[in-house]
Amino acid sequence: MTEKEITFTVNGTERELRVEPRKLLVHAIREDLDLTGTHIGCDTGNCGACTVYKDGEAVKSCLQFAPQADGSEITTVEGMEDLPEAGMGESDLHPVQEGFHEMHGLQCGFCTPGMMLAGKALLEEHDDPSETEIRQNISGNLCRCTGYQNIVKSIEYAADVLAGREPPESPVENPSSGVEATADGGEPDGGRTDGGRPLDLTREYPRGDGDE
Amino acid sequence: MKAAPFEHHEPSSVEEAVSLLESLDEPLVLAGGQSLVPMMRFRLAVPETVVDINAIDDLDYLRETDDHLELGALARHADVERSAAVAENYGSFADCAPLVADPQIRNRGTVAGSIAQSDPKGDWGSVLLAHDGEVVAHGPDGERTIPAEEFFLLPYDNSLDDAEIITALRVPASGDDEGSAYHKLKRKVGDYAMVGVAARVRLDGDEIADASLALTAVDITNVSVPDAADHLEGEVPSGDLFERAGELAADHSNPESDEHGSAEYKENMVRVLAQRALADAVRRARTDDPAGAVGSDQTAVGDD
Ligand SMILES: Cc1cc2nc3c(=O)[nH]c(=O)nc-3n(C[C@H](O)[C@H](O)[C@H](O)COP(=O)(O)OP(=O)(O)OC[C@H]3O[C@@H](n4cnc5c(N)ncnc54)[C@H](O)[C@@H]3O)c2cc1C
Ligand code: FES
Ligand code: FES
Repeated sequence: MTEKEITFTVNGTERELRVEPRKLLVHAIREDLDLTGTHIGCDTGNCGACTVYKDGEAVKSCLQFAPQADGSEITTVEGMEDLPEAGMGESDLHPVQEGFHEMHGLQCGFCTPGMMLAGKALLEEHDDPSETEIRQNISGNLCRCTGYQNIVKSIEYAADVLAGREPPESPVENPSSGVEATADGGEPDGGRTDGGRPLDLTREYPRGDGDE
Repeated sequence: MKAAPFEHHEPSSVEEAVSLLESLDEPLVLAGGQSLVPMMRFRLAVPETVVDINAIDDLDYLRETDDHLELGALARHADVERSAAVAENYGSFADCAPLVADPQIRNRGTVAGSIAQSDPKGDWGSVLLAHDGEVVAHGPDGERTIPAEEFFLLPYDNSLDDAEIITALRVPASGDDEGSAYHKLKRKVGDYAMVGVAARVRLDGDEIADASLALTAVDITNVSVPDAADHLEGEVPSGDLFERAGELAADHSNPESDEHGSAEYKENMVRVLAQRALADAVRRARTDDPAGAVGSDQTAVGDD
C-alpha cells in the first residue's frame, strides 16, 4: 500500500504527514498531530464528537480518509481561541467557547468540541439563529450527559457576542440574574445556597470542624 | 476497526475515472464517503482501490435548464438544501434534503452517492422515482441514461455496470401546474426513514393530469406505486380521492416488522403519509408555493 503525502493547514499552521490511505482524518488529527480535543465517540458517523471545521463547513472527521484532507484548511477545538472572532466577548476565548463557559454548556465535556464546531459553522451563516435552527444544527451531535438545554443557550450567547448584541448574564456566575439556564439544566438556581460564588480552587479550605 | 488497505486514486476527469475503474483491481467509487467509509471500516466493502471522484470539478453542479433539473454527481445534500431553484420549483427535493441524516453528513454526502448506494431506506430514491428521473451513467462505452424505474434492483444493488460511474441525476423541469412533496416518518432527528412517501402531481385545470407516488423503506428497494397514479389521473383532487390512493399505496407496500414498528403500523403510515404528501403536492401545484409545508412527520413510535 502506497503511503500518501498530505499537506494541510490545521489551526493556522501548515502540517505535512505521510499516511496510509485508510487512515481516517480523525486519527490523523488525534494520533499524528496529537490534537486530542477532537473526540471519537461512535466511529460510525452518529455522534458528532469528531466534528471539525473544514474548508468552511462542519464535517465528521470519522467519515473521511486522511488523504481527502490534502490541501484543506481545518480548525479543531484547539484552534478556536486563535480565530479572528476570539476575544470579541469578555474573555480571550472564542465567543462560542465563552458561551459554553458562561452558560454552563459543558458537563463532562465529551461532546463539547464537536458541539462548539457545529455551533461555529451555524453562526457563520446565521447571526441570529432561532432555537429551532440551533437544535437542528446540533442534531448530528449527541450529548451523553443529555445537556442540550444549556448547549443551545451557549450557542445563543455566542450569536449575541458575534452580532454585537448584549449576551445574557451567566446564570452560574449570577444566579439571581433571572436567566433560565442552570448549572444542572433543571430548576433555576439548581438548589445552590452559596450565592453562586465561583469556587476558588487556590484557596485553602479549612478542615476539621469547619470553624475558621 | 480500520478499513482494509487500499490504494487511493484521485482522477481529475470522468474519462480518467472510468479508465481507472476498468483497469484496476476491485475498485470502488468514493464520493461523499458518508456510507462507504463506515462500510469499509466494518469490512462490508473491501475495495483494493478507491477511485475518489471529489477532484472532478465538472461533476460539482446543480442546475435548472428549460428541460431539466440536473444534479452533478458531486452535488451534496446541503447544496440541494440551499438551492433557490429547488426551493422555488421542486417541493419534494426541498422537503427531502433537510431530512437526510444531519448537517455535517449533508455537507459531504452526495445525492448521486445515495442513489448509487441503493439502500431501500435511502430517501432520494423515492424522490427520483416520483419525478420520473433518470440516472446518467458514464462507462467505457460512453454515456447512457437509466430511468429511475429501472435502476434499483435489490437492496444495495442497481443496474450500474462495474466500470460505470454516475455523472448526474436528472428530472424533468417542473411546470407551474406541478407540485411535489416528501413526507418521512423517523424515530428521531437525523434518522433513516421508517416510512417515506414522495408524491408529485401535475394539474390540468381542476383535474390531475399526471401523478406519481413512491415509497421509502417499505420494500426491498424504493418503489413507485403505479396503481395509485392510475387512480389519481383524470380526477379532481379531494380528500376521498387521496384516501383511496393512500390505501392503494399501503396495499402496494411490503414492509417488515422490526424493533421500530410492526408491518401493520408501517403500512398504516404509508396510507397516512401518502395522503399528506398528495395534499401538499396539489396545494403546491395550485399556489406555486412549493416549499411552503414541512414534509416531516417526526412522530416517534408510541408518541401519542
Ligand atoms: C449517521 C448517518 C445517518 C444517515 N441518515 C440517512 C438518511 O436519513 N437518509 C438517507 O437517505 N441516507 C442517510 N445516510 C446515508 C448517507 O447519507 C447517504 O447514503 C450518503 O450520503 C451517500 O452518498 P455519498 O456521496 O456519501 O456516497 P459514498 O459513501 O461515497 O458512496 C456510497 C456508495 O455509492 C457508490 N458511489 C458513490 N458515488 C458514485 C457515483 N457517482 N457513481 C457510482 N457509484 C457511486 C460508492 O462506490 C458506494 O458504493 C446516513 C448516513 C449516516 C452515516
Ligand atoms: S466519532 Fe465521528 S460521528 Fe461519532
Ligand atoms: S457534556 Fe457530557 S457528553 Fe455532552
